[in-house]
Amino acid sequence: MYGFIWRHLPGNAWVKALISLVLVLAVVYVLFQYVFPWAEPLLPFNDVTVNNQ
Amino acid sequence: MAVSILGELLITAGLVLGLFVVYSLWWTNVVADRKADKQGDKVRDNWAQDKGGPGALDTKDGIGFLHVPSMKNGEVLVEKGTSTKVLNDGVAGYYIDPVKATLPMTDKTGNFTLAAHRDGHGAKFHNIDKIKKGDPVVFETKDDWYVYKVFSILPETSKYNVKVLQSLPKQSGKTKPGHFITLTTCTPVYTSEYRYIVWGELERVQKVDSARTPPKELG
Repeated sequence: MYGFIWRHLPGNAWVKALISLVLVLAVVYVLFQYVFPWAEPLLPFNDVTVNNQ
Repeated sequence: MAVSILGELLITAGLVLGLFVVYSLWWTNVVADRKADKQGDKVRDNWAQDKGGPGALDTKDGIGFLHVPSMKNGEVLVEKGTSTKVLNDGVAGYYIDPVKATLPMTDKTGNFTLAAHRDGHGAKFHNIDKIKKGDPVVFETKDDWYVYKVFSILPETSKYNVKVLQSLPKQSGKTKPGHFITLTTCTPVYTSEYRYIVWGELERVQKVDSARTPPKELG
């Protein structure tokens, strides 16, 4: 999978590395900004109140 | 081929879970502290400008600050409600559901019940286990310092135990109505299995002076 992506990136090794870095950062950004905030309330780690439910 | 793709997917899953831990325990704190600082500044600005006239209660931005020296985390802004949305801004919320908190400014006997995160989102009650009986808990409003003294601690109780929020929380050992404060958060750390409860009773109320000199308990 990663080999496939690497082979299909344009340019020489340095350009490929740079594009990979940007891709990784983009993935981390999407995770932190959208995926984790969505997933967090679904997981039982952060309920702090006492309630009837 | 199929095996190597599976392996890469597993590694990816591991990395994503690792990132989730980083997100939960670090990034949410960064975001929440930033928000809480901003909201806290706004409350202090409003107090300084004396907006809304005497006695007016601005519940939107927060009603005051909680100081617990034994938690060593400075001041915690207190806002209305205990919904995830409120608490995720790195503040403590006072209960409006299932049992409504009695705010100290009303001077009525009752229970000022608060909740805040143990981990992540500011983790304002992270050190709740460092609080001991006899420790001061001070609530600061525009005009008064409400000095409470911790008299009872329940290190583990069910999350359905709403009785701890009653205006006279009998589980704390008290039998007569009084001015109480209740701190609730989750326990053990990093999970939400049980609730940790700390009760305090009002000792005295000190007027805020022009320099906002903190009471001696915060010295």
